[in-house]
Amino acid sequence: MAERGGERGSFGRGFGGRGGRGDRGGPRGRRRAGRREEEEKWVPVTKLGRLVKEGKIRSVEQIYLHSLPIKEYQIIDQLIGPSLKDEVMKIMPVQKQTRAGQRTRFKAFVVVGDSNGHVGLGVKCSKEVATAIRGAIILAKLSVIPVRRGYWGNKIGKPHTVPCKVTGKCGSVTVRMVPAPRGAGIVAARVPKKVLQFAGIDDVFTSSRGSTKTLGNFVKATFECLLKTYGFLTPDFWRETRFVKSPFQEYTDLLAKPTGKLLIAEDHVADA
Amino acid sequence: MDGSVKGDPIEELKELQITSLDDDDDEEREQEMVTDEYEDDDDDEEDEEEQEPVTLGFIEKPKNSWSLLRHLFPSKAGGSPAWLDPINIPSGRSCLCDMCGEPLHFVLQVYAPIVEKESAFHRTLFLFMCPSMACLLRDQHEQWKRPPEKTSRSVKVFRCQLPHSNPFYSSEAPKCDGTDKPSGPGVSLCNWCGTWKGDKVCSSCRKAHYCSQKHQVVHWRSGHKIECQQLNLFSPSFDSNHGNGETTSAQRQKVASNSLWPEYEMINEDESEYDTEMSEYNGQTNALVSKTRVDDTMKSLLSTFEGDSDRKSWATFQERIAKAPDQVLRYCRSASAKGLWPMSGGRPSKADIPKCSYCSGPRCFEFQILPQLLYYFGVKNDVDSLDWATIVVYTCEASCEASVGYKEEFVWVQHSSQSVNVP
Repeated sequence: MAERGGERGSFGRGFGGRGGRGDRGGPRGRRRAGRREEEEKWVPVTKLGRLVKEGKIRSVEQIYLHSLPIKEYQIIDQLIGPSLKDEVMKIMPVQKQTRAGQRTRFKAFVVVGDSNGHVGLGVKCSKEVATAIRGAIILAKLSVIPVRRGYWGNKIGKPHTVPCKVTGKCGSVTVRMVPAPRGAGIVAARVPKKVLQFAGIDDVFTSSRGSTKTLGNFVKATFECLLKTYGFLTPDFWRETRFVKSPFQEYTDLLAKPTGKLLIAEDHVADA
Repeated sequence: MDGSVKGDPIEELKELQITSLDDDDDEEREQEMVTDEYEDDDDDEEDEEEQEPVTLGFIEKPKNSWSLLRHLFPSKAGGSPAWLDPINIPSGRSCLCDMCGEPLHFVLQVYAPIVEKESAFHRTLFLFMCPSMACLLRDQHEQWKRPPEKTSRSVKVFRCQLPHSNPFYSSEAPKCDGTDKPSGPGVSLCNWCGTWKGDKVCSSCRKAHYCSQKHQVVHWRSGHKIECQQLNLFSPSFDSNHGNGETTSAQRQKVASNSLWPEYEMINEDESEYDTEMSEYNGQTNALVSKTRVDDTMKSLLSTFEGDSDRKSWATFQERIAKAPDQVLRYCRSASAKGLWPMSGGRPSKADIPKCSYCSGPRCFEFQILPQLLYYFGVKNDVDSLDWATIVVYTCEASCEASVGYKEEFVWVQHSSQSVNVP
């Protein structure tokens, strides 16, 4: 009965050393055979993730309201989930010079959106195309932003166009979006058209300037533009907002005193 | 040597570039591979880094009611600790939170013997923590303090080791069929928390043990007031029968508190077992090379969408744990192990980790706890509830012997930042 080394991990399965093989071989083995489910039980790592998993947070708008950083893409999956579609916009091979030749990697650009006010854009570079695409989809989900839509004229039906003229700029490219009447469709170049389709904007006139040949800047400029739709102060926001307590942040002094009128600054799904 | 003549072929060589083989119909054939002028070394570094073999810990419901008793040398999380050395349990100030004075709650214990060391045939690390977030925030400042300043911590870790032949357990391996027993009883533990030594006794019935006055008060209010009188009535026959933490038989101690975290058993597996799964899945490639024009200013997008160092460390973290998303513990006892840090800030440098207080030797990384544990513990997600990014434990590299049964080691908590990242 050797005292050392004889019983690896001394009496059972301790941590450390190579002998640490647990009884988990059974169930894990079963799962490993065949396809591994993508949607394995998600164990949240952040507090926000835990809140979403519990179901305390029902819509993404609550997260946007408090500008909380979204760090897990499963949060978006759970909140917007099935209606979210993704599309690979471009796979670009990039190379790096090494002593032994060139090392090629693939950069993937992916746009996700639910055609109902949420878009995201993700970029990922990787040695394999599939990995790059997967990584880009995850990054795109993490960068989902809300898009505000409004009316061109009469406020009948659902909002269909941008609420006002907005412009976004990146590099030398400026993209300007102008509200359009129903039926106009998205009047834009191929690239921003795709982004706008994912955003859920039905009609818009666009005008761009600068070197739109540079796809990166072009897409980024439309993105900035969409981001600004909720940043524009229109008369319906003139009423004083009553601040709502964030899911897990403490009241600061600023928020402690409610200021008069009661307008709950929540979803703007049905814009006035 | 005519330089000008020789120069031409070299110039020509420089102009040669690899073009893509795809034929374009609409676009001009200007497809050029873009050479990276900027350093995109993130992926590079990860591939080339020497990865130490890491053992992952997962938690599950215990198989039987007796699986987690101390003579089976378990690794567990939540509930009450299965003390390795049942007599010399830490007492006094070391079992209290230095900030609020409440006794600490048991988080987990890891059975991590060192095969090479005779005196560490059995070795367990116990981690305790105050469940109050306010204390943890104050603890943040304390952990940066360097010796000889006295630090007051709200998170504590203890190490206990025993040689093969010891007075507490038999020298044979346990059979794990429900009939094992330890060699002797342990000291009584507190009736309320079941964690600490119960050296104080209830003054009226003299049967209920407590570790601190706070627990006695809480227990009194939540039911002992009624039981106490009953215990007094049936005094003599109860003396030998109460399973107060004396695990002479294979019995679980009944703990009165309901604020302890749910109990789980911890299973370990090597991380390398999960690497193969990932590579199988990568097999399918999509031939999606699009035909649109290639240009190199796409990299401007990277700065926005790939983010700063915090996001990068988060991305690395996510990638590593994606292999096994429900892991709660990462174990790698080695001087060169760095650990996986979710945030870029709040990491200790070599100088921040103090030397062992018993042998003055260096301390090295042993294991780290991941925030998935909070999910399994069912910690609430209020404003002031517990939250961390990772908890890292550093232990004496030599795993020294000292006169104390349970030696204190160093623990580092990294908080999740609440900063807002605006794209």
